[in-house]
Amino acid sequence: MGKDRNVRMSLQTLKVLEAFLENPTDELSGADVQKRSSLASGTLYPILLRLESAGWFVSRWETIDPSSAGRPRRRLYRLTPTGLTRASEVFASFGRGVPA
Amino acid sequence: MNRRHTLPSPSEPACTDELPGWSEGLTRWLIQHAARSAPPALSERLEEEWLADLAERHGAMARLRFGVGCCWATRVIAHEYSAPKVLATISATGNKVMNAYAQQDYSLFSRRTLAFVLIVGVHGVLILVLANGLAHGFVKVIPTGMEFGWVPEVPKNQPPPLPPPPKFSPPQIHIPPTEVPLTFAPEDPGVIQAVIAAPVEQLPPPSAPAHTVNRVLGGPGKAFPNSDDFYPPDAIRNGVTGVATVRACVDDRGRLTAAPTLAQTSGSASLDGSALKLAEAGSGRYRATTEDGRPVPSCYDFRIRFGLIRK
Repeated sequence: MGKDRNVRMSLQTLKVLEAFLENPTDELSGADVQKRSSLASGTLYPILLRLESAGWFVSRWETIDPSSAGRPRRRLYRLTPTGLTRASEVFASFGRGVPA
Repeated sequence: MNRRHTLPSPSEPACTDELPGWSEGLTRWLIQHAARSAPPALSERLEEEWLADLAERHGAMARLRFGVGCCWATRVIAHEYSAPKVLATISATGNKVMNAYAQQDYSLFSRRTLAFVLIVGVHGVLILVLANGLAHGFVKVIPTGMEFGWVPEVPKNQPPPLPPPPKFSPPQIHIPPTEVPLTFAPEDPGVIQAVIAAPVEQLPPPSAPAHTVNRVLGGPGKAFPNSDDFYPPDAIRNGVTGVATVRACVDDRGRLTAAPTLAQTSGSASLDGSALKLAEAGSGRYRATTEDGRPVPSCYDFRIRFGLIRK
């Protein structure tokens, strides 16, 4: 697959992936990932965009009516099958396994 | 997708209450400024996404940090996605937004170059401030009326001058004139002798020599405990020896009147402690000091030797 390119693995990138691997089917906003990974926004959002451009994540806007919900819609990120496979491989290579 | 939603979140009013207005406004301005500095294809998306995520942050500092972080994120994103290799990758995906995003170079300098320029700039500003502002202020502080002159050199290692000697004025002694009527006939030598002998008084006989007290200083008596019995085992093992001087105050019956004290250490705390215990245990077995053979209470020092005999 063309967009599945190598992503430079840093500790911060691993933290982001770990946040998603807690429940791979979850869709998380940047704020959710930030809560799970304790990363600063200046670090987190470039990683999210980097992984999205690499094909590991896909993102979409939350389908809510902001007026009725009383809050703005959020951008939700989700692991792609490729991203899940690659993230699992990365964690397996580190010997940490993949969270259930 | 590009709609802007600026509705406040339910938690926002509480945060705004506890924050100064300028802080909230500054945070929002930072985010909007950061998003608008991003590549145009991502600008609106990032602004909406970051403002939505900001609504889930609580606390003034956390929100402000988030805003500052977004500024940094914009720079990183612009730098990374300006690389040509991204273009090929994203073109293959068909993601239009990311494709447009990757086609532009938004970074004039690399982060390393930018950091270098910033450091040089900060140093330049500091040098300018020191050269103009601070130096100018410092020159103003220097007083204009300065006097110059030679300071006499003070010789080193010279003792301080001695104070002037005290002036003693001899006491004025008034001696009344003695008038002795010398009414004698020069031809009568016996009268002269009588007149001269009259004022001479009889001196008292020389006093008897002062009685010197024959004082014999006391010390440990015959039944005094042996120092071997108080030799500390650890000192024996380590071969520690020494002589401690103990001061004891005893009454006329050789009993301690106060706790013995250490007059001079043996060099070993262990031996010193044992010497004091030995002196304490010897109460009643001291030989009292005698004056003219009569025992009297007194204080005196005596030495206790701790020695090892090698067999």
